[in-house]
Amino acid sequence: MDTQNQITVKELKKLEKKQLSNTRRLLNRTIALLPAITLFIHYLEYSYVPNHGLNQATKLYGNLLILGILVFFIWYLASFVKEEWYEKLLYLTPLFSVIWILLTIYDLLTLKSGRLILPYFPWIGRVLDAMISDWVKLLDCVKNSLKLLFTGYFTGVLAGLLCGVLAGWSKRVNYWIQPLVRVLGAIPSTTYMPIIMILSSSLFGGSAFLIALGVWFPVTISSINGVSGVHKNYYEVARTLGTSKIGILFRVVMPAAMPSIFTGLTQGMSTACLTLMVAEMMGVESGLGWYINWQKGWAEFAKMYGAIIIICITFILVNCILNLIKKRVLRWQGGE
Amino acid sequence: MDKGAIELKDVTKIFQRSDTEETLTALNHINLSIKPGEFVSFVGASGCGKSTLMRIITGLESPTKGEAICDGEVITGTSAKRGLVFQDHALFPWLTVWENVIFGLKSQKNLSEKQALAEELLKLVELEKFKKTYPSQLSGGMSQRVALIRALTTEPDVLLMDEPLGALDAFTRMNIQDVLIRLWETQKNTMILITHDVDEAVYLSQRVIVMSPRPGRIIDDIRIDMNYNRNRSHSDFLKYRNQILERLNLAHEESLEYYI
Repeated sequence: MDTQNQITVKELKKLEKKQLSNTRRLLNRTIALLPAITLFIHYLEYSYVPNHGLNQATKLYGNLLILGILVFFIWYLASFVKEEWYEKLLYLTPLFSVIWILLTIYDLLTLKSGRLILPYFPWIGRVLDAMISDWVKLLDCVKNSLKLLFTGYFTGVLAGLLCGVLAGWSKRVNYWIQPLVRVLGAIPSTTYMPIIMILSSSLFGGSAFLIALGVWFPVTISSINGVSGVHKNYYEVARTLGTSKIGILFRVVMPAAMPSIFTGLTQGMSTACLTLMVAEMMGVESGLGWYINWQKGWAEFAKMYGAIIIICITFILVNCILNLIKKRVLRWQGGE
Repeated sequence: MDKGAIELKDVTKIFQRSDTEETLTALNHINLSIKPGEFVSFVGASGCGKSTLMRIITGLESPTKGEAICDGEVITGTSAKRGLVFQDHALFPWLTVWENVIFGLKSQKNLSEKQALAEELLKLVELEKFKKTYPSQLSGGMSQRVALIRALTTEPDVLLMDEPLGALDAFTRMNIQDVLIRLWETQKNTMILITHDVDEAVYLSQRVIVMSPRPGRIIDDIRIDMNYNRNRSHSDFLKYRNQILERLNLAHEESLEYYI
């Protein structure tokens, strides 16, 4: 916040950075080319090493590899222009190089030599083809999974916030919530799965309830902690400023408890994803978990792996969005 | 302004000591009246009940016996008429400076008029540039100034301050003492200040009330007859300062004997 600050952070970092020797700098420039080079090696291996037996390489994967090489090469060229791009590339170089090498090894073991056999170990190109051939079904599964996930998650969050905030706020509510949390929280919500499958009239509703239960627990606990941890001075200042009880609840207690509540929200999301998969594999007849089980039945392992990749991407995206919301809501924490 | 009169009638406050069956008399038969618009300071060793006295006037605590009266009405709870500033500024960290300052205005009428006042006060303490800043980025002195403004925007008849400058360095302290006098002169409300610092009490107030511990009681009520801005090295200033220190020392010795 210092207005007298005359140099920018960027300039400061440049000033304070250790000077590298010329050979070291040249070496770094070369290292930054590694992702493009290893990917190119993978492409050569994929295109020119003869396939094992009847195995067939697909065009799509080869094209994707060319695209990847181009991206990394252009990135490398662009890094001469902008220092940050160069640093980012240098940072990611070891990770990507290793990934490309592992992919090459996997390809050699499956497509090229048949050491790892079909149908259990399809090569990447085959998985991609399987995903594309079944994309309508997969998209539908993603939609159904997300619908179930969010129905359960939001119900759980709402119930958790209600219980947690009220229990942290009032001793009388806490008296009733506390034993409930102890009993229900000790058991993973998936334990109730068989009972729910029998008792509930709709599998969707039953599974949503289970997910909600799994989310409810961490959100309740973290809200209770958050609310009871609010500093007494905040209440007293708010009271002397003429704020009503309801006003204090919404304008002081809730925001003060937010950092703690978000811990519960993140934890709840991972429980929700877990419960979703179990529910879909055990009973619900749609969604990605069901798809995996179904394809396993047909020994369509390529499709199974494809679904797993999509699950991975979906969950990563969902968690990214949650993190963005968290950063936005808790932006006042910055600088501490 | 003729509002902000405080009347304490035979106020006694007894606490239960934590985890024991013993009780502790924090305040013993306090009688006191404070005129509207008066600047009064309380000094005394820790444990003399000055903070408890202030919490009773605010309405955060109720007396065990006796009653506290504000403008003819018995104090039964907190009210926006009696503002409070802590030593720990207690700014809400999730709100910006400006949102903190207008926190108390949400529940009030003629909002725009009050907002204009808030803006003016913020200018008076030279913080108008920091409206959009979060408290975590402010220094201790800046935070305390914001806390003062926040307590004043609701235009309380009485402003109570519990060692508001206790955690600040000497230079910032003197700076904010002048800010306090300026604020008091513009707002003309009753000011009640609790402090450990005798110099601060003499510099700021029209009346200094000396308290003594075990049990907490008033042992002296000294009127400071000096014009503002006071000179800290003036002979009168030193006279008042020594007079208060003497009273405090005497009380301290008494309380030692009490223990022996």
